[in-house]
Amino acid sequence: MSVIAIVALMVIVMLAGGFYVGRARAIGAVNGNTVRLHSLPNYHGYYVAIWTGLPAFLLLAAYGIFGGQAVERLTFSELQREASALNARLEERLLSDAEYEEFRGAALQLRERVNAIGDDMQRLRSARGEERDPARLEQLQQEQREALNSATAAEEAAIGRRAELVAAVGSEAEAAGASMRQLAGFELVQAPREQRQLFLSDAMQIANGALSSRESAELNAAARIVARYQDRIRYFVAVLALVFAAGGLLRTRSQVIPDFRARNHVERLITGLLLLSSVLAILTTVGIVFSLLFESIRFFSTVPVSEFLFGLQWSPQIALRADQVGQSGAFGAVPLFAGTALITLIAMAVAVPIGLLSAIYLSEYAGPRFRATAKPVLEILAGIPTVVYGFFALLTVGPAIRGLFTWLGFDDVVTQSALSAGLVMGVMIIPFISSLSDDVINSVPQTLRDGSYAMGATRSETITRVVMPAALPGIVGAILLAVSRAVGETMIVVMAAGQGANLTANPLESVTTITVQIVMLLTGDQEFDSPKTLSAFALGLVLFVITLIMNVIALRVVQRYREKYD
Amino acid sequence: MTDTSDTTSIRDAVSRQLPRRYRAELRFRAAGLAAVASAVGILVILLISILSQGLPAFTVNQLVLPVHLDRSVVDPEGDASEASLRRGAYSRVLQDAIRAEFPEVTARRDLRNLFGLYTPLNATRLMDDVLADPSLVGETYTFRMPIADDLDLYLKGRLVEDRTLATSGLLTISADGDALALNSSAPDFASLVEDAVATMRAEATALDARAERARNLAAELEGSDAEDALYEAERLSAQAQALREELAENDGRIELNRDLPTILVELSGVAVRLTALDANGRSASGEAMLGDAADISGAADWTLYVIDTPESRRRVSDQAIVWTRALEARGLVRTDFNTYLFSNADSREPELAGVKGALFGSILTMLIVICLSVPVGVFTAIYLEEYAPKNRLTDLIEVNINNLAAVPSIVFGLLGLAVFINAFGLPRSAPLVGGLVLSLMTLPTVIIASRAALKAVPQSIRQAALAVGASKTQSVFHHVLPLAAPGILTGSIIGLAQALGETAPLLMIGMVAFIADAPTLGLEGLTQPATVMPVQVFLWSDGAERAFEARTAAAILVLLALMIGFNALAIYLRRRFERRW
Amino acid sequence: MPDNQSHILDQNAGFGETEPPIKVAARDVCVAYDGKQALNHVSIDIPDRSVTAFIGPSGCGKSTFLRCLNRMNDTIEGARVTGSLKIDGAEVNDKSIDPVVLRASVGMVFQKPNPFPKSIYDNVAYGPRIHGLALSRNDLDGIVESSLKKAGLWEEVADRLNDPGTSLSGGQQQRLVIARAIAINPEVILMDEPCSALDPIATAKIEELIDELRENYCIIIVTHSMQQAARVSQRTAFFHMGTLVEFGRTEDIFTNPRDPRTQDYITGRFG
Repeated sequence: MSVIAIVALMVIVMLAGGFYVGRARAIGAVNGNTVRLHSLPNYHGYYVAIWTGLPAFLLLAAYGIFGGQAVERLTFSELQREASALNARLEERLLSDAEYEEFRGAALQLRERVNAIGDDMQRLRSARGEERDPARLEQLQQEQREALNSATAAEEAAIGRRAELVAAVGSEAEAAGASMRQLAGFELVQAPREQRQLFLSDAMQIANGALSSRESAELNAAARIVARYQDRIRYFVAVLALVFAAGGLLRTRSQVIPDFRARNHVERLITGLLLLSSVLAILTTVGIVFSLLFESIRFFSTVPVSEFLFGLQWSPQIALRADQVGQSGAFGAVPLFAGTALITLIAMAVAVPIGLLSAIYLSEYAGPRFRATAKPVLEILAGIPTVVYGFFALLTVGPAIRGLFTWLGFDDVVTQSALSAGLVMGVMIIPFISSLSDDVINSVPQTLRDGSYAMGATRSETITRVVMPAALPGIVGAILLAVSRAVGETMIVVMAAGQGANLTANPLESVTTITVQIVMLLTGDQEFDSPKTLSAFALGLVLFVITLIMNVIALRVVQRYREKYD
Repeated sequence: MTDTSDTTSIRDAVSRQLPRRYRAELRFRAAGLAAVASAVGILVILLISILSQGLPAFTVNQLVLPVHLDRSVVDPEGDASEASLRRGAYSRVLQDAIRAEFPEVTARRDLRNLFGLYTPLNATRLMDDVLADPSLVGETYTFRMPIADDLDLYLKGRLVEDRTLATSGLLTISADGDALALNSSAPDFASLVEDAVATMRAEATALDARAERARNLAAELEGSDAEDALYEAERLSAQAQALREELAENDGRIELNRDLPTILVELSGVAVRLTALDANGRSASGEAMLGDAADISGAADWTLYVIDTPESRRRVSDQAIVWTRALEARGLVRTDFNTYLFSNADSREPELAGVKGALFGSILTMLIVICLSVPVGVFTAIYLEEYAPKNRLTDLIEVNINNLAAVPSIVFGLLGLAVFINAFGLPRSAPLVGGLVLSLMTLPTVIIASRAALKAVPQSIRQAALAVGASKTQSVFHHVLPLAAPGILTGSIIGLAQALGETAPLLMIGMVAFIADAPTLGLEGLTQPATVMPVQVFLWSDGAERAFEARTAAAILVLLALMIGFNALAIYLRRRFERRW
Repeated sequence: MPDNQSHILDQNAGFGETEPPIKVAARDVCVAYDGKQALNHVSIDIPDRSVTAFIGPSGCGKSTFLRCLNRMNDTIEGARVTGSLKIDGAEVNDKSIDPVVLRASVGMVFQKPNPFPKSIYDNVAYGPRIHGLALSRNDLDGIVESSLKKAGLWEEVADRLNDPGTSLSGGQQQRLVIARAIAINPEVILMDEPCSALDPIATAKIEELIDELRENYCIIIVTHSMQQAARVSQRTAFFHMGTLVEFGRTEDIFTNPRDPRTQDYITGRFG
């Protein structure tokens, strides 16, 4: 890193130098009579400085971001090359090993059988009328479970046998005097995916003189390769950056003549930078859409879309072994949608009346002084972090609701109920609705109110019969935005709504929502390729699509409304 | 048409309706006021509940013990080198110190309970003290350590219901086999007997009620369910019966057990727990908890200390409470401001857990957010407001930004996980990734606020600048931007405050781990595992120990203080620089 | 101001036997917004069943005075009205007079047509509904029809009563608003520059309508156009800088103004 830091410092120095060179040269070219210059001397300076520093810094930044990965890739491919002989030998052994082949064949066959039974079950499940046959279905389920167990056993046996062979080949090679690098490559290539990553990062750590999770001769050998590539890339980048800087300086220096349009060049660069910034917003959306889509498609290759969207059972734990009880791995998201809808409904039932009436009171009735105190209070509600609301729901509202309903004679009221999460979420959304409706109500033209008052209407009549109908589209838009917010709210429900995927309309029970499940699925240990993890992205996609549709409609409605009265 | 009769009839009709209409008006107005009042009321409740839960965590009860740092114990090599000092048996030093206070405790189980008065992690703190000042070796050093979290809560009066009763009689205690017999010259125990009888009667009644309910249930059910319910009812009835019989037996003598309030007789240096009360209210049996109680006669200066929360329903034993009270009476417990809350990072032990790590994590994360979202956001706003031609691309960008502002924050977390961590291979749990994700999330807010501020600058300023020959860029950067700066600043600060309080996206990128070391405040800290304030709140709110509740509320108070600071800054800037055109 | 007082006595003397009775009588009316004086000691007697025009340059207080007549100034924070203002002998600013009742008998038409965002029918039915004047749907239908007929709009909208009021043209909207005002049978109709947002043809129609309505109502119209004042009104009052400068028969004001300020204004020297 130090080489890079020195280079960065040098580039900075050259950049500053470039500025003065450009400036001085411009002044010198007209013998100090700067009026004759097309652009101010400073612009010449900026121009030279930018072309001195920018390419070099971009290069350094790229190195910072991708350097580590490049080293890893290069190391990996070199180790792979080194181990190619050993790998070939292993392949040979695997092919000739009857035991391994047998296990593998059996596993394949059993898997196919599992899939075939699965298809049958699917057919039976969707069957109607006479063709329904629950007994057969149960039998099939039993068969599938057995087949799955055997398949897993066969696969495990195959993997175990393979591991034995790997070890054997490895020790033979070691005995035969293979180099450490070959062994390191062999270990790396034969390791499972996540351990490869660990191996490489350990090698990197050793190369950098930091603590690694373990040490071995193989790792040290790999670390030496890492160090070599690191040095090479580092020096290459350092030299290239200096070349860029010097080249930029020399080239742009010669461009500085009195008629040179330095300012226009600089300004064009600035405009480019500004455009680049605004494209980042699009890139973010593209990133969201693609990352969600990509992972969701992978998820939908194991779980059909229809089952995900319309299934009534949600228990995402994929069975590690098929005989685990209750670990079927069902991905029917309807309970989550229902839970989200229930909590959103409760939240809206709280937030819409209170928010709307507050907005009406503050904009139509309250005196300026009352308004000046009450409005900031509502804004404080809006500024409180949602995790605080979650804590409030968990420790104050939840127990209070449980106490209240137990006192009223309900049995088994849980603390983490849909009601407490919904109520608190409603409180969170009050300021959102009130400030949006406040804007909307204030943009209803005064002439409409005057017209109503002139007819002898009272204030409330004017509000309910003239102002509200006029503001309705805007208020609907505001409520839609609020709904989208409630649907996407995470912390309150994570802390206060519970995790059981119950399909219920009873607000005193605990329900779960889309966001809660995303959090549950992605926190803690996760293997990245399992449907369990991927399902979180599918849920994220659903969430994104729902909120996007609501936002687009709401924003359009609000915009139309604004245009109408502007 | 306008003959007088007609107009007067209309006026009459209008007047007739008036009271009804004004009642409706009043109702509507009251509803509006009620809505505002309820919003304000909820805020007040929220703040009060958090304050009342959080304030106790700002003080801590500490044991102030003289510990003897015997050279042979803390410096096994004897050369006072750091390596040697690090191998010292500091736990033993602490254990010896506390044993010195209660020399009568010898049984192994009792000793283990005694050492439970503080967490063993304090040994490390003691070692740090010694390492910082090796001259302490061989000396007796006054060491302060936080008392165990549950006892801390007990001392703050938040764990149990208790009361102290004055006594009037003279107390005599004599040995009675294994137990102690207590006699008072006045009926000092009488009220306790009444209480205990009442408690047991109430319990029996409650059991009967439950039995009755189970019987009713059995009548509704069928088959084995009904049998189960019936069996349950019988069992409850039997329990109630047993309780009543117990009251009737033994001439009204009441055996005290773990399900009844604990009664301690306290006199100087001695504590006796009552095991049975006689009906006469003057005599009782007990067992010694502290000091030598076997032979006391005619003591006048004694009190009854009643813990109404039965031992079976609380997390601290009677013995621990007795020891704690003894230490308190000896002046070895001090209430201090809780510096651990700020000087420590997270810990499994609530009494040592602090927000320092999360605070540093928040600072690092916010640094990234400030460095990224503010410039990029302002640049975007400038481009869209000042440069952008009206075309498809800029329309798209606009719609896009408005929608991004309403995308749920958790989706940004998913983006961060998929792109920054999985695709770019950046480290998990790092402030760098957290900052990147929060920057993307904050960007739309900053852009929208900055655009509004730029829009508010009147066109005449731009025209004036262009008219004197400034280029577009010069007019924007020399004239428009400085005028819009206060608005941009305010909007940015509000966006940053939002990012400071955001939790959900950070859970996705692994900033939710237990991290016992604060990250370094520097460039290298950006890639160290860390957590942030709101996530710390989330983590603690999940903590099993009750003391974490107060910590959580305290962390919330710290977080809210930060946010209030941020917002106050925004308001100040708005007031200070606000310009109306 | 004694000066104004004398005007009124003069004019009363000149009205003669055939003149309709006085509907609105104002004495020393002053209005201040947040302490800033907008109207100074205006005294005037306005007769029933005729059109009275208020003219004067912008900000002269004519609209302010108009808004006193139905206490629309109540809706503006910081407005203070003093003096005596009587309609049919009843004090308008009296505490016992409910502005709601007052406004039911004093209709108002605004500068910009402001139909409510409701159907044509609901716009006209608004007044009768809030005041509870119609006992049945038939009653209401009758009121709506007769009001629209009186406003000369019936022919044009009879077949689309459920269309939104805002779908009409500007002139139609203004007539709809007039229909809305007369649906509760007011005694006085105030018009605040009712034609300023309309094209000449629509203006002509409104003026025609005003002329017809004169038969039954006391109409007070604020206008910027002196031609309009001359065309539709029988009496004209000239306001200048918050005071009533001159009030008299329209033909007198336009042909033979007594005050030099009136003279300057109608000849276009300022305004």
